[in-house]
Amino acid sequence: MKVGLFIPCYINQLYPQVAIATLELLEKLGVDVYYPKGQTCCGQPLGNSGYEGDAKGSCQVFVENFKEYDYIVGPSGSCIYHVKKHFDIIEQTPEVVKVRNNAYELCEFIVKILGKTDLGASFPHKVGLHKSCHGLRGLHLGSCSERMDPPFSTEEDLLNNVKGLELMSLTRKDECCGFGGTFSVFEEAISVKMGKDRIQDHLDNNVEVITGADHSCLMHLEGLINRNKQPLRVMHIAEILNSSI
Amino acid sequence: MVQNKQKEIMGRDSILKAIKQHKPDLLPIPEIDGARFDDDVNLLDIFKHNVALVGGSIKEVDKALIDIEIKKQFPHAENIVALNETSTLGTISVNKQTDPHELATIDLAIVNGAFGVAENGAVWVSEKESIVRVLPFISNDLVIILLKEQLVLHMLQAYHKIATRDRNFGVFISGPSKTADIEQCLVIGAQGAMSLTILLV
Amino acid sequence: MSHAEKATIFNKNEAKVNWHDKALWYVREKRDNAAHGVKEWEYLRDLASAIKANVLSDLDTYLVEFEANALKNGIKIHWASDAEEHNAIIGKILDDNKAEKVVKSKSMLTEECHLNPYLEAKGIEVVDTDLGEYIVQIAKETPSHIVLPAIHKTKEEVDELFQEHLGTKPSNGNPEYLTNEARKHLRGKFLKADVAITGVNFAIADTGGFVVCTNEGNADMGSHLANVHIASMGIEKIIPKEAHLGIFLRLLARSATGQPITTYSSHFNKPAEGKEMHIVIVDNGRTEQLSREDFRASLHCIRCGACMNTCPIYRRSGGHSYDATIPGPIGSILSPGKDLTKHSSLPFASTLCGSCSNVCPVKINIHEQLYKWRQIIVKDIKQPMVKKSILKIAASVLAKPKIYDFAGKSARFMLKHAPRFMIYNKLNAWGKARELPEIKNENFDQWYKINRKK
Repeated sequence: MKVGLFIPCYINQLYPQVAIATLELLEKLGVDVYYPKGQTCCGQPLGNSGYEGDAKGSCQVFVENFKEYDYIVGPSGSCIYHVKKHFDIIEQTPEVVKVRNNAYELCEFIVKILGKTDLGASFPHKVGLHKSCHGLRGLHLGSCSERMDPPFSTEEDLLNNVKGLELMSLTRKDECCGFGGTFSVFEEAISVKMGKDRIQDHLDNNVEVITGADHSCLMHLEGLINRNKQPLRVMHIAEILNSSI
Repeated sequence: MVQNKQKEIMGRDSILKAIKQHKPDLLPIPEIDGARFDDDVNLLDIFKHNVALVGGSIKEVDKALIDIEIKKQFPHAENIVALNETSTLGTISVNKQTDPHELATIDLAIVNGAFGVAENGAVWVSEKESIVRVLPFISNDLVIILLKEQLVLHMLQAYHKIATRDRNFGVFISGPSKTADIEQCLVIGAQGAMSLTILLV
Repeated sequence: MSHAEKATIFNKNEAKVNWHDKALWYVREKRDNAAHGVKEWEYLRDLASAIKANVLSDLDTYLVEFEANALKNGIKIHWASDAEEHNAIIGKILDDNKAEKVVKSKSMLTEECHLNPYLEAKGIEVVDTDLGEYIVQIAKETPSHIVLPAIHKTKEEVDELFQEHLGTKPSNGNPEYLTNEARKHLRGKFLKADVAITGVNFAIADTGGFVVCTNEGNADMGSHLANVHIASMGIEKIIPKEAHLGIFLRLLARSATGQPITTYSSHFNKPAEGKEMHIVIVDNGRTEQLSREDFRASLHCIRCGACMNTCPIYRRSGGHSYDATIPGPIGSILSPGKDLTKHSSLPFASTLCGSCSNVCPVKINIHEQLYKWRQIIVKDIKQPMVKKSILKIAASVLAKPKIYDFAGKSARFMLKHAPRFMIYNKLNAWGKARELPEIKNENFDQWYKINRKK
């Protein structure tokens, strides 16, 4: 099984530690993982802003980079969702279809494809899980609070197997954090308020570390936490799953 | 006048024409698998629970003791319309020709319910039971007499039950009139009846 | 003013935002509880969605069937292509009946058609009788929510309004007292009304009847007392069979307020003896929406308001920030179809979180339609130069890996080494309330080159 590692643009530039953790974790799990050079971006910011048509070039680059792999795995639910959902704007060649079908968010890949939930990690902290919307409602990484389906959560399955980790429950289990890509700047007031409210929920429930499978949401929350000097840390789920004492 | 009529006909034709032009290819009406909603539950228990949930009160009484129960609950009611055959509490009689405005001062209306719906505590009351349509709404308090074997589980069954009725006016009543329009605070007694009592016989 | 600008103003009072958010979240929680109590909730949604899709695919047939059955039962049917025709038809019915006093129960369609100002200009007294609508009417405002029209008002504000308009005593916003005073006042209006106007929740093709749902009983008080009952309905309110109400009435109130059903679900099939009943069937842009394949499903809407209660943006920006008859997520996909220029900011007032689509009882893919409106809006409506050029440059950079690599490196260099005031200034909306990420010495590409040699 050949796996292509997809590192979203902002993670590559701003959060290399998340990319490193993702790579190391996959290696630890015995995955034959490659990092194709020349990755740019999935085009999500363009699509969400209404410029989907201009994103065709980046879609093509993406497919070109990943067409030879059995699976494409990335540590960002919203980018993977974009590939699966919105790459319908380019011609659906067998390569494009293959890339879209085989793109996986990291947690889902580990649980569904590798069939593992206990990764031998250890992280003795009180953790709050931010369930990012595109991963949750788009990729169905877990059951959504709005729907009357049997409850499950891919990320919780993994976190519950981390030694010493205490998963704290939240008052609003899956409310949006207000990042929303360019929404975060064009609707700044609401975006900030939504983020503040999410953070308060974690604080109210004695969380020490906020984690999640989508670092763009975490970047937004971290920006607020750092500005307001709140006693919380923010870590991508890959960093926790890759940690040991 | 003629012009207006003309315009309306044009409205009809242009709307229908636009729909024909713009509607998608025909999609099927789904088959409803009613068995998926079946549930082996005690209808009476659920019905009682839901009547209470929606703010009504409910009591099982002996048919012969209906009036005693009503008297006990509404000792001060003076203007009473009783449309239940065993109740003798009525002080005002109504018929199809009654001007609904005359019922503005009714304290209490006693009407039969056709059947109840367990899932939501609603009771079907049609013109056959209320004679004057406005009665169950305009009366200050409302008592519905219901046979306890007349219960269905859910609304799909309810519509099956009224499928062959004489259609004029009918209403599912679930609890007393209420509103939460001021700061989401639930207040019983908005524009319709201030209370609903269901007596199961 | 754009949604973002109005939302910014609304957010100046954070306590009120919190209050508004909590009030609506409470309704969302009640909805969740109610839905959990129903066996096969998701199956009900599937059925409701499929029935509505069938309706739209055969709408003209159903409307003609409905009309024929209603006429047989002595109901008069009128057709209106737009708001102007709708109002003129109602105006004429009032004239024919020499009506001076009208009571209205909730109808978003009459709001959409601006019926009240039209009738008032004719010298007719119109009273909105739903308590929430009555409150916004005397406050000279518009509803900020389709089910909870006065949700933006505190009880103290209502208290003051009632003192001024009803002569009530100061009560510190006692809801029981205020509701009871309104009840007394509205009783008088019901008893004197010549005509009652209501909306229509469902119109049934196979019987020619229609259903109106209220909790207060105001639609019934009005329509059973007045000599003339006029019901206004959009063409999309049709359902094929009466039996289908068994699906929709199970979903409607639970989705709207968390009640198992509204207090009154009134079935009108024939006028009472000696009375008149009219139905006005209205298009007003609906056939145009029907023509838009991507947005057609917005016509499934049964006006429960669940998407508003769940929407994290609606809860924190208030209904008036949408500046549209129907606010919130569903309004943001309906309104652009009516006036793309005026409502061009609405599809962007969303993070595309998808919660609206998940609560929708008729499964409208609201967030996907928001995404699709965005694609249309940037083409058809002039965009701010800055936004446009940034995204255009981004597009060309992202399509070229080498330039991207250079751009990424230089941007990181800038963020790391530029003085703070250059990054955190008025032009930087991100940095107003948030820190930017701390910049590391190397990006992942560089790390990989050094640490992994394959």
